[in-house]
Amino acid sequence: MRLRLSLLLARIAGSLSKSLLRKSGATIPGKVLLTLYPQALQALSRERTIILVSGTNGKTSTTKALTQIISQLGTTVSNGTGSNLDRGSASALMQTSKYAVLEVDELYLAKVIEQTNPVAVLLLNLSRDQLHRMHEVKKVADRWRKASEKAKQTTFVGDVDDPFIAYVLEGASEKIRISFGGHTHADGAVCPNCGKYLKWEKANFSCACGLASRNYDSLQPAGNAAHRNAVLANATGSVFNAPTIAFQEKNLERSLTKDFEGRKCSVRLVKNPASWREALTTIKSENVILILNAREVDGIDTSWLWDVSFEGLRGRNVSVCGERAIDLSYRLHVAGIHNVLEKNFDQAVAKYEANQQIEVLAAYTAFFSMVSA
Amino acid sequence: MSQIRVIRIHNELLGTYGDQGNAEVLAFRSKFHGIATTIIDVAYTDDIPRNGNIYLLGGAEDAAQLLSLEALQRNSNLSEAISDGAVLLAVCAGFQIIGNSFYANGKQVDGLGLLDVESTPGKKRSVGEVKSTASVLNLSLNGFENHSGITKLGSSAVPFAKVSSGRGNGDGKYDGAVLGNIFGTYMHGPILARNPQLADLLLTRATGRPFSQIDDPLATQYSGVARKY
Repeated sequence: MRLRLSLLLARIAGSLSKSLLRKSGATIPGKVLLTLYPQALQALSRERTIILVSGTNGKTSTTKALTQIISQLGTTVSNGTGSNLDRGSASALMQTSKYAVLEVDELYLAKVIEQTNPVAVLLLNLSRDQLHRMHEVKKVADRWRKASEKAKQTTFVGDVDDPFIAYVLEGASEKIRISFGGHTHADGAVCPNCGKYLKWEKANFSCACGLASRNYDSLQPAGNAAHRNAVLANATGSVFNAPTIAFQEKNLERSLTKDFEGRKCSVRLVKNPASWREALTTIKSENVILILNAREVDGIDTSWLWDVSFEGLRGRNVSVCGERAIDLSYRLHVAGIHNVLEKNFDQAVAKYEANQQIEVLAAYTAFFSMVSA
Repeated sequence: MSQIRVIRIHNELLGTYGDQGNAEVLAFRSKFHGIATTIIDVAYTDDIPRNGNIYLLGGAEDAAQLLSLEALQRNSNLSEAISDGAVLLAVCAGFQIIGNSFYANGKQVDGLGLLDVESTPGKKRSVGEVKSTASVLNLSLNGFENHSGITKLGSSAVPFAKVSSGRGNGDGKYDGAVLGNIFGTYMHGPILARNPQLADLLLTRATGRPFSQIDDPLATQYSGVARKY
C-alpha cells in the first residue's frame, strides 16, 4: 500500500481509538501504519533529523528533556509518553517536523537505528530489567554493540562509568564518552568486552583488554541519576549546537505529587533493582508506601527483590500493597524490616494520619494507574 | 550444633537473579530453630572456605558462570566439605557448574563433576513459573525458571523434582538433580523463599537435627500465593 494512504488509515484508526476506546493515541496509529506499510519508519525518517534515546532507566524523562533542548532549534516531535516500541516511534513520526527525539525500548534499539538512520543516539545506562523478556544484560549490550559498529555516521553519546555503555561506545565511530568520575554498577562484575573479572577501584573500573571508565571525552561533576541524565541530554544537544538548559532534578524523575484526603503523597516510579536502589537512597519521610505489581512491563518474576537492600526503610512506617505485595512484604519480613501488608493503596493511605507526608514507590503499572486516576 | 556457617559463593557473579536471598532465608529460618547462622560471602578473588555447613551457588550469565567455575577449581575445599556432610544448593548456572559439563559462550566446558549431569544449550528458552514435587520428602515446590539449558541426568543422579508445570531440565518432566546432600535445580524465586520447607530440610541436613514446624503465617501465605502457570 502507498505511504499516504497508509498514513490516512492510521490517522483514522488513531482518532477512533481515542474517541471510542479513550486511548492515548500514542500506539494504535503507529501499529496500524507499520502493518499497512512496514517500511514506514524509514520513509518518515528520511527528510528529518532523528535522535534516539535508550537505556534501562530514565528514558522517558530524559527524552522529554532532550525534546525541550532540541525544540529550541526547530519543530520537534517525540513519543514522550513512554510508548517506546517501534509503533510508538511510528506514531510520533506521523506528524511533520524538522527533528524527532524518540525513546526506544532496549530490544528495539538496533532495529530502529537501522531504519531511521539517526544523527545521534543517547545511551543512558544498562542493567537488569524485565528478565523474563530481556533474559540477559550482556545479550542486550551485544545487540547494541553490533548496532554501534554498523551506524558509522551516527554519534553515540553515553555514560562510560557504566561498563556496558562503555563497551557499546567502544564500537562506535563517532562518540561522546561522558564520565561522572565513576559510579558503581551492581551488574558490573564481568568485563562485557572480554569476559574477565572487571577490576573495580572504588567507583572506577578497568580491564586488561583496555575497557575503562577513565577513557572519556568529557568529565562531568558527579551526581544522582537525574543529574547524570540532564548532563547527558545536554551533551546530546551539543551535537546540534543546541543551547544547554539547566533542568530541575525533579523534572528528570518519573514522579508526581498527589493529595489523598489531606495526605500529601509524592509518588515515584520504580521498576527494577537499579531504580529501586536509586529511589531508596532518596527516602526522607517517616511514612513509606511500596506498591508492587508483576505484570508484563513490571517483570512477571519478582526474584530480583532479593538483590535490593531495603535497609534504608528500617524503622520507618512502611506499608506494602499492590498485586504482588506479599512478595515484597515477605522479603522485608526476612530482612527484619517491619512492614504492614495492606489490601490496596486506598487502605494503605487511610492508615496514615491526615496532613502527613507520605513517600510512595510504585511499580510501573501501579504508577500509571495513578497518573490516569 | 547451634551455630552454622552458610557460604554464599561468588555473589557478585552468581547474585544476579535473586538467589542470594537463599542465604537470608536460611539465616531467618534457623533463628526459629534456635540456631545462629553466619552468612559468609566469598568473592571470586577469595578461596572457598573448607568449614562451611551449607554452600550456595546461584544463577548467572555465561561469562560470570565461567569465572565462577575457574575460581571454584582453585582448590578442592567444596567437594571435601561435602564429603564431610556439608550441604550444597546450586541454582541454574550454579547447577550446571557442579555437573560434568555445560556450555557457555558457545563452548563446552567441564564442570566440577559433583552431580552426574550434562547440560547443553536448547533451542527454546525456558521462562516462567515452575511447579514440582521434590523427590525428597515429597515436598510441593514452586519457583521461576529462566534458562536455555537442557540437562540430562547420568546413571548416578536422581531428579531433584518431578515437574507438573514448566520445563525444568528442558523436558518438562523433571527439574534438577540430587545426590546425598547435593541439590541442583533451575528454580529461582528465590527457591528457599518460595519454599520454606526446603530451607528447613537443608538446615536439618546440615545440623543432623530434625526440626518442628515453624509458625510463620506470612511465609505460609507467601509460598501459597497463586501465580500464573
